[in-house]
Amino acid sequence: MLALPLAIVWFGALIVALLDGRKRWVATLAAALLAAALLATLWLSAAVVRDGPIGMVAGDWPVGVGIRLRADSLGVLFIVVSLAVLLAALVYEAAGGVQTRTFPALTLAMGAGLTGLFLTNDVFNFYVFFEIAMIAAYVLTGYGSRLRQLRSAVIFSVVNLVGSVVFLFAIVSLYHVTGSLDMDVMRLRLPVVEPNASLLVGTALFIAFGIKLGLFPFHPWLPPVYTGARPAVAAMLSGALANIGSYGLLRFGAGILPRDLELAAPALIVLGAASIIYGGMQAVGRNAPEEVLAYSAIGQVGYVMIALGIGGPIGFAAAILYTILNGINKTLLFLAVGARGWLLGIPFAIGAFSVAGVPPVGGFWSKAIIIQTTLAADSDGARIWLTALMVVGGALSFVYMFQVYQHEFWEPRDEPRRPGPVGRRAIVALLAIVVVAIGIVPEPLLSASARAAAVLTGGAP
Amino acid sequence: MIVATAIAVAILFGAGAYLLLKRDLIRVVVGVVLMSNAINLFIVSASLRRGRAPIYPLPPDARVADPLVQAMTLTAIVITFGVSALLLSMVYRVYTSHLSLDLDDLAAAEERAAAADDREAIAQAYAREAAERDRLEVG
Repeated sequence: MLALPLAIVWFGALIVALLDGRKRWVATLAAALLAAALLATLWLSAAVVRDGPIGMVAGDWPVGVGIRLRADSLGVLFIVVSLAVLLAALVYEAAGGVQTRTFPALTLAMGAGLTGLFLTNDVFNFYVFFEIAMIAAYVLTGYGSRLRQLRSAVIFSVVNLVGSVVFLFAIVSLYHVTGSLDMDVMRLRLPVVEPNASLLVGTALFIAFGIKLGLFPFHPWLPPVYTGARPAVAAMLSGALANIGSYGLLRFGAGILPRDLELAAPALIVLGAASIIYGGMQAVGRNAPEEVLAYSAIGQVGYVMIALGIGGPIGFAAAILYTILNGINKTLLFLAVGARGWLLGIPFAIGAFSVAGVPPVGGFWSKAIIIQTTLAADSDGARIWLTALMVVGGALSFVYMFQVYQHEFWEPRDEPRRPGPVGRRAIVALLAIVVVAIGIVPEPLLSASARAAAVLTGGAP
Repeated sequence: MIVATAIAVAILFGAGAYLLLKRDLIRVVVGVVLMSNAINLFIVSASLRRGRAPIYPLPPDARVADPLVQAMTLTAIVITFGVSALLLSMVYRVYTSHLSLDLDDLAAAEERAAAADDREAIAQAYAREAAERDRLEVG
């Protein structure tokens, strides 16, 4: 049961890889497989909510020898969101006609990498799944095969390979200091490890995931890649693949190295604040919608960092909720910008409201819970400045999102553009409905992120 | 021995980082490969230990070598290999379509392409305007 979602996407990717993805039925098959994996994950998460985390040792090896898989509230929540984003992007691309034979298979491969990564309890296994997802993403960035896509694929793969090298260094060092690859064993052994060693590991992990997220000092690769890639691919990168960064920081930082995370909290908060200001300012100064969204992504990561820096059950829950809603928002916006035709203004405006945090859409709750977090900060100074920063950041995002809206949807066009396929617009509308639904009924997602945060703080599952 | 591998890892990594900052794409790829292999060497040297081969059943109170790092290194080497192949194929694709491997040339080519698109759009707008004017004059 635990391995079912992983098995569906994994073997699905292998089968679909043999078929010609440009044919309509192959893309439909891939979408059906992704949907099946999504349903299996929902079933799994129902079981996790009912009975607590589920564990399994791969290949029937004795405990302590084999690789452990486990599904807990944190992992399944991220799988559900990532697979849903991949499914939306795949259906969106299929509606307009897939251009290369590998696209559906690569989407499934990315799904397999992400599912495995969120399910594994073994650090090296995490690295392997991480690389599977990344390699699929490198190829997908080149999808479209024009010079822009090729160049962004080269930039993306080179920068992220350096990130992977740093990550591999970090996990091997973790193995060296703890003598185990199992996350739970590491968590138990790390308190007796020399602080210098664990801080070095923590820094390397932070750099690796910071590169993945496009956090402020590690961000320069992000704008050319998000603007160069096709809309569906940009949606996958920002909505599904970027989850690795937040999940990794939560799982490794909060779950394995809590002592070092606490020590690094001021650095996280400062970098987060710099990211919010820098991303917001740059986004205000841009015109092209993709570019604004790319800089907005840099800014949004800052909020996650601040929530992570403040920590505790509230902070982690806020970081999880923010990551998830941000992923959904970015998927909606990238797809809305890429589609053509009437009535696209409304979904875009919903996404823009969600990024700015205006009720009644989903983004309001992520902003609300972030401000709740900053109000829970330790010192008065931090409380005042961070809350002010949240408000300023929100105002900035309001300005840049509506600049795009005005530029794209209000100014009359010289010529009427041919409307795009209906399927694309339907997917965009569906995503907008999801964002509104989360805004009106936030309770399930709020409690899911609180439960996921409890996994990290060691409370109830 | 540890010192020797540490120095080797440092040199490999440094050379890789240096090449990574070059403008030529082949050098960039070689840089990535060198850095990845520096880490592979680092994995092996992270638990250099003398001991018997770890084959079951283990001899009582004898030191055995750590088999896990070997397995990890093998996996990492395979991943490095796959990624290098992928990077090289991407670079080859860039070369066949633009006959250049210099990042500056590529950026310039991209700007030219964007400018050409703009020019085309402007030309179309002028043509439309002229057609409109003709229509009005005729009318």
